[in-house]
Amino acid sequence: MRYRRKITAVLMAGVLAAGLAACGGNGTQDSGSGASSENGGTHLNFSCYSYSNSMDPITNVNSSWCFLRYGVGECLFRFDENVEVENALCDSYETEDYTTWVLHIREGVKFSNGNELTPTVVKESLERLYRTEADGTGSSTPSQYVSFSSIEADDAAGTVTLVCSSRTAALPGILAYPWYGIVDTSVIDSQVIGTGPYQVASLEENSAIELVKNGYYWDGEVPYDSITVYLTEDSSTKAMALKSGDVDLVENITTPSDLAELEADSDYYVSATAGVRLGNSYFNFHGVLGNNALRQAIFCAVDDETMCNVTVGGMYTPGCSVLPSSLSYGYEQLTDSYSYDLERAVQILDEAGITDTDGDGYRELDGQNIHLNYLAYSSRNLDEFAQAVAISLEAIGIGCAVTVQDYDTALANQSAGSFDLITSNAIVVPTGDPSGFLGNFYSGNSGTYGYYENEEYDALYERLLASVDEQERLELIIEMQQLLIDDAATLVHGYYNSTFASRADKVAGADITPMDYYWITTDIRPAE
Amino acid sequence: MEKLKNFVRKNPAFTVFFLLTLGVIAIAVFAPVLATHDPYEAVLADAVQPPGPEHWFGTDRMGRDLYSRVIYGARTSLAASLALVCIIMTAGTLLGILAGWFGGILDAVIMRISDMMISFPGMVLALAVAGILGASMTNAVIAIAVVSWTKYARLVRSLVLKIRERDYIAAARVTGSTSSHILWKYLLPNVLPTILITGATDIGSMIMEIAALSFLGFGAKAPTAEWGLMLNEGRAYLTAAPWLMIFPGLAIFITVVVFNLLGDSLRDVLDPRDEQGNGFGRKENE
Repeated sequence: MRYRRKITAVLMAGVLAAGLAACGGNGTQDSGSGASSENGGTHLNFSCYSYSNSMDPITNVNSSWCFLRYGVGECLFRFDENVEVENALCDSYETEDYTTWVLHIREGVKFSNGNELTPTVVKESLERLYRTEADGTGSSTPSQYVSFSSIEADDAAGTVTLVCSSRTAALPGILAYPWYGIVDTSVIDSQVIGTGPYQVASLEENSAIELVKNGYYWDGEVPYDSITVYLTEDSSTKAMALKSGDVDLVENITTPSDLAELEADSDYYVSATAGVRLGNSYFNFHGVLGNNALRQAIFCAVDDETMCNVTVGGMYTPGCSVLPSSLSYGYEQLTDSYSYDLERAVQILDEAGITDTDGDGYRELDGQNIHLNYLAYSSRNLDEFAQAVAISLEAIGIGCAVTVQDYDTALANQSAGSFDLITSNAIVVPTGDPSGFLGNFYSGNSGTYGYYENEEYDALYERLLASVDEQERLELIIEMQQLLIDDAATLVHGYYNSTFASRADKVAGADITPMDYYWITTDIRPAE
Repeated sequence: MEKLKNFVRKNPAFTVFFLLTLGVIAIAVFAPVLATHDPYEAVLADAVQPPGPEHWFGTDRMGRDLYSRVIYGARTSLAASLALVCIIMTAGTLLGILAGWFGGILDAVIMRISDMMISFPGMVLALAVAGILGASMTNAVIAIAVVSWTKYARLVRSLVLKIRERDYIAAARVTGSTSSHILWKYLLPNVLPTILITGATDIGSMIMEIAALSFLGFGAKAPTAEWGLMLNEGRAYLTAAPWLMIFPGLAIFITVVVFNLLGDSLRDVLDPRDEQGNGFGRKENE
């Protein structure tokens, strides 16, 4: 009996030891892969938030961004670090009337599968984008920025001729937007192939993406043989992965304490850029928030200054307009009609008859308690904003429940109008020009942004689209911004400051650009 | 009074842990008296303040008083875990008695479902159930109940199988007692002490499981004062503001320890074999 116990104990100890050794072995192998891949080539471990599992530009906004961000695809044009448009797959263009554009497609460019990039493929790629928008198989809405009455390809001349439905002065900027990323249409039914420096080797949904070097890349040397993109939802996890050496580069650490630690440590390089991203929440005008007084009161009840500087630890710069104060769109000329003033919020509600008649602590509108359904996703502190807003609203007797969802689900709910408030974080000059973003509030487009409608705004927007005079455009843009503030059209939280953090001894050139369509680029390379 | 004194003298450990448990419950019941602030009142400008005279445990990232939230958290955690233990105890006991007493197909069906449940990691299954139902405290309780009743069913079934062969059950049958009478009068009272002991020791682990679900975002939703959720909210500030995790963590730790020790000492009280120190179960463990 005693021997049997001893033997069992020894066996158990052996099993435990073997198990521990196996676990330890895996850990060593994993952490070792940070420096180089198994075949000895250069390897980068990158951690980022997962915005979409798809990389097909037609799927939705985020999938098209992923197509560019992971270095898989490219557009005909791109933005440089000064938000200036430069040529990419198109190496020259001509237009006489800003309606007909002749784009010359760069010669010698190949997709990562070796197929040649021809004007015909460009034409087919753009046509597919518009076709899927029309038949509803894709959620991307390219006609929001530009529609074409014809797209012609001339392979012999190497050109694509685009005839816009209306005069479009900023077409290169529009075509730099990720929706217009060029895919190899001959294989698109089975895989998404672009012309970027890397191609997808494997993808594990919501977990990791393996990228390998595109051997056919046209624009210089590709620094890494392979890249593992870890899809990490949590900001602290990203920071910890960077500190432990599991990853070499992370995007957007949104926890102030983690970011401060990394900035203070010379082992890490933190690149930050002044934001062109707006953090805001859209109101659903088809619900209870169609009530003007209620929206105005919400504006007055929310202390954006404190939320930006304290709640999210300075990750955002506070502001009242949809266009950031850092851009030259006349922010200083705007008047904040409903700045933070709790007493005024209560007064507006009382005067509008939105009061708590049954004494349950919640005000009623049309005999019903106000309980707002606030949707948020955890990217870039948006969930914290939502919670802070909800707390502020509870203080004035407006019930508000925050539901944090993953981005795709939140976006689906936004499109379906199943929300009262929904957080958003978007680049407001997506095409190098704010007219596209301002179009979110145009009654023809606002369906997915809460159904805001104002005839005066629509008229100004139409004038903006038609105008090519810079001064006139600026005046229109200022007027439109003021109108949105006066209408309490969307709850502006602030302007986000994007960041990249990397291990200084492993990675060089990891600088974030103001237009963060570009994460993995050939500028990011192993440290010398 | 004399009886009570005797009981306390005989069971000092149980008495101490019972009083401690009463203390924890009192904290939950008298939370409004004990709390220094409204747990949901936020002063955004006072976010992440360290512990001090105004805020004993500091403030969280929304500027709410952490001490008051920890105190109110006892209400949420205790209510949910007690409800959960009651549900699984009742459901498990009922199904176990049915399976053990009636046998046959009923036994096979209940036990095979139970086998299916325990052949899968409980927490993972609970996460799946909570994920399908959506995040809320009620759904978290349902999710854990779905995966936890099997323990009680199996335990009760084995007890019933043992008891049903006893002479007094045979005697009851001979005298013409109906099944329901036997189950109610003879079986249930005999399985109850064991079930109560198991239930008492389970409260602690149920608090942990509910906190775990909330921590993972499948239980309580913000701004509820719930310990697991508070741990999750403080996680991002682990290095900069450790008190955001320390105090809710301590609350969970203390409550779980108190309930676990109560469960252990309750076993000593209810199990007469252990009272004499020569019980079968005790011997086997030695």
